[in-house]
Amino acid sequence: MTTIKVDEDACVGCGSCVEDCPNDVYELDQEHGKTVVVNSEDCMACLSCHEICPSQALEHDNIHVAKRLYIDRKVSNALKKII
Amino acid sequence: MEIEREEIKGDFKPELIPSETGGDIEDYEEALHVLMKFVGSMASALEQVSGRGANAIVYQAGKRMGHEAGKLTEKTDNLEKALDELGEILGIDFYFEMWKPSDQEGYTIEKGDETVVKLLFMDCVVRQTLRRTGLPQKGPLCYLLYGYMVGAVEEVMDIKGKLDIDHVGPNACLKTLTIKWGGK
Ligand code: SF4
Ligand code: SF4
Repeated sequence: MTTIKVDEDACVGCGSCVEDCPNDVYELDQEHGKTVVVNSEDCMACLSCHEICPSQALEHDNIHVAKRLYIDRKVSNALKKII
Repeated sequence: MEIEREEIKGDFKPELIPSETGGDIEDYEEALHVLMKFVGSMASALEQVSGRGANAIVYQAGKRMGHEAGKLTEKTDNLEKALDELGEILGIDFYFEMWKPSDQEGYTIEKGDETVVKLLFMDCVVRQTLRRTGLPQKGPLCYLLYGYMVGAVEEVMDIKGKLDIDHVGPNACLKTLTIKWGGK
């Protein structure tokens, strides 16, 4: 099961993750101005929330991490000479 | 950065299939990156020239490939079995699973003469290609996978299908597959 951690010191309470998550996993705690995880069982680990969060406050544990060949720095550097 | 090249020397006759063609995994990775870059550029050029028509063209191309791939497996009218077999065809590069929200009982929903199932694509070469090239998701290249999936389902189940995007993310994309019973 996926565990979602919010770094409360980093979260600026912008609500972007609340808006962006298609499965309503987050809610904004108005009183403390931080996001809270309310529905982690519906998280499908798309990581859109990671991409939109301006302060890298989110962490998902125990998820399938998709292959990302495109961020291999060594290969990318070598390729700069070709393309 | 210095690129080191190891020269492969050996005998070669056209009629012989060599047991190995040289190169290690990094060479293949490099070749794959070049291909990704080419395919990405092609997709964006296609979009520039044909606008939204690009999606339809690429969808048809994908669908044709899907029909061809679907011929490799046994026909079935069991959706879950068909999806299992399609998982084998699409392989680890398009690794997907059925997905449902926690309050929904089963994976499939019946709606009149239609069955609806949500598919979560976790690994996807198209996504990698788009992100490698800095292109947004949901563009023409994504339609290649939609077409492929729909074509393969149609072939395996002998029905009509369609795939809609629910959500695209950097790590997974959710799609809805709708199949219409009652022939093509
Ligand atoms: S990974 Fe996707 S589904 Fe999960 S919380 Fe983030 S945006 Fe929502
Ligand atoms: S997007 Fe990041 S900073 Fe904004 S509310 Fe969500 S966790 Fe906090």
